[in-house]
Amino acid sequence: MQIERNNIAAKTITVVVLIVMLLFTLMPILFMVTSSMMTSRQILRMPFTWIPEGINWINFSKAIKGLDNNYIFLRNILNSLVVSTSVAVTTVLLGSLTGYGLAKFNFRGRNTVFMMIMGTMMIPFETIMIPLYMVVTMLRIQNTYVGLILPFLVSAFGIFQMRQYLTTFPTEFLDAARVDGMGEFGIYAKIVLPNCKPVIATLSILSFRSQWDNLLWPLLVSQSAKMKTIPQYISAFAEEKATDEGAMMAAAFIASLPMFILFMSLTKYFIGGSSVYESRKG
Amino acid sequence: MGNRKYRGIEKKQARWGFLFVLPALLFFSLFNFYPILNAFYTSFFNRKVLSRAKPLFVGLENYVRLFDVARASNPLSFYNSLRATLVFTLGTFIPLLVLSLILAVFISNLSSSKAKKFLQISYYAPAVLSSVVAASIWMIIFDPRGLGNQWLNALMRTPGIDRKWLVDPTMEQVSTMIIYFWKYIGYFVILFITGLASIPPTIYEAAIIDGANKNQTFWRITLPLLKPTVVLVSVMSMLQCLKTFSTQYMLYTNGAPRAPINVITFNIYITGIQEQYLSRASAMSVVLFIMMMLLTLLQFRTTKSENVDY
Repeated sequence: MQIERNNIAAKTITVVVLIVMLLFTLMPILFMVTSSMMTSRQILRMPFTWIPEGINWINFSKAIKGLDNNYIFLRNILNSLVVSTSVAVTTVLLGSLTGYGLAKFNFRGRNTVFMMIMGTMMIPFETIMIPLYMVVTMLRIQNTYVGLILPFLVSAFGIFQMRQYLTTFPTEFLDAARVDGMGEFGIYAKIVLPNCKPVIATLSILSFRSQWDNLLWPLLVSQSAKMKTIPQYISAFAEEKATDEGAMMAAAFIASLPMFILFMSLTKYFIGGSSVYESRKG
Repeated sequence: MGNRKYRGIEKKQARWGFLFVLPALLFFSLFNFYPILNAFYTSFFNRKVLSRAKPLFVGLENYVRLFDVARASNPLSFYNSLRATLVFTLGTFIPLLVLSLILAVFISNLSSSKAKKFLQISYYAPAVLSSVVAASIWMIIFDPRGLGNQWLNALMRTPGIDRKWLVDPTMEQVSTMIIYFWKYIGYFVILFITGLASIPPTIYEAAIIDGANKNQTFWRITLPLLKPTVVLVSVMSMLQCLKTFSTQYMLYTNGAPRAPINVITFNIYITGIQEQYLSRASAMSVVLFIMMMLLTLLQFRTTKSENVDY
């Protein structure tokens, strides 16, 4: 009897804690969605009503038109897409090439190279951004895509993942292709790369979203409005339109939409990808 | 003869292998090793961006300035940044660690796999939003008329009290912690669920046969076997917290006072980029680098000894 009562109490506590936490994590997201359709007065009404009275479309048009009515948000969305996609592509390509080299070839200094690359995990982006900024100013690549992308071409974490995955790749396949006269680069491009799909999926999502979320580096590199990225736009918009909460939430909602669509369609790669060490530079 | 030919092939292959890692090696040399060495180097000079004068070697002056006790009372001193970083890191990572462990155990004990999946996805959802979006949502919640006050007052039955979330120095720090905690809790819950799943169920079965209750199995079996994950999660979350920037930047640009949330990364940004004192900022970077390197080394050491014997 006592044990059963304890059990019921334990179950109740579990359920209550889980639900409270569920409300805590989901309410703010729901708040963003509903308040993007409200006027400021409705958003800050006491008590807050969760159902918007009709959709206040002007929030969205304000968010897209931007502070100077020049639709710069669209350009900034494009910039974020270009930068995030490029970084995802180069991370996958360079990561797999390097990981393949480290996993399947015996050359002098291989372990040293591997340890050096792993060692870069100990150099967080925040500690090298000032020197990198000086390099970028010296090369005069501020306000360019090259400047935005260059420091993130590949990550040690990406190389590590690829190497771990490829170590178990059967060497006989590679040798068979060599016997057939396939070149080494051809083997990488036609046999190795197509066989890394699961790692490629996880890795490209990780690198895409780390750039999608990156505020610090664009703040240093992109001063011209045209070359800014979404996080910069959101922060500038929030600063200028601090009293227009509806428009702010509409901008935030638009900025989050692509990631949410990705998340909903590729949930397993998001959640699977986070269960390994994630070296987020930037 | 044949042997020599074979060796030739091996040599050729080795060359290809090196060729494949060469681009990455060049990349890391240029964009990781050179900058960190440069940060050390610059920190011994008095370099400013706009100054045309040749930078002067000043030895340890920048470091002396950072740790100058006379400056400690200055609200924007480096001491204050160390304090702000430490407070933020401890105040965020301890709740993250404890709660993510509890939630992961609760979720793992659920019987319905649908509920498990739903909870994992929902807890993880905030991590999908970018940090700026997270901060801008919470800034509205923390408005004097916003949901933060409404909820807290309803909960504590104290109608009409404004907690000054973004104005009061203490509350401002609490607010940054809440935002960060909210964004990363799901991520760490999933790490723990993965760790819990790797504990063989036969151990629990044996414990139940031996008459252990739930409490005992948690403290005597789950926690000890989960130790590697606990260490991993604590170091990772500490490293994450040390790097925090976007949240503090967003609050500051929206008018919140700077001193309470002037964490090291934010101080580096303001000093190096806005005030253009490159050398001073480099010295701060070096201090941050050393702090984080010690933590990472700790992590490498613990992950090496990660294999537990069951």
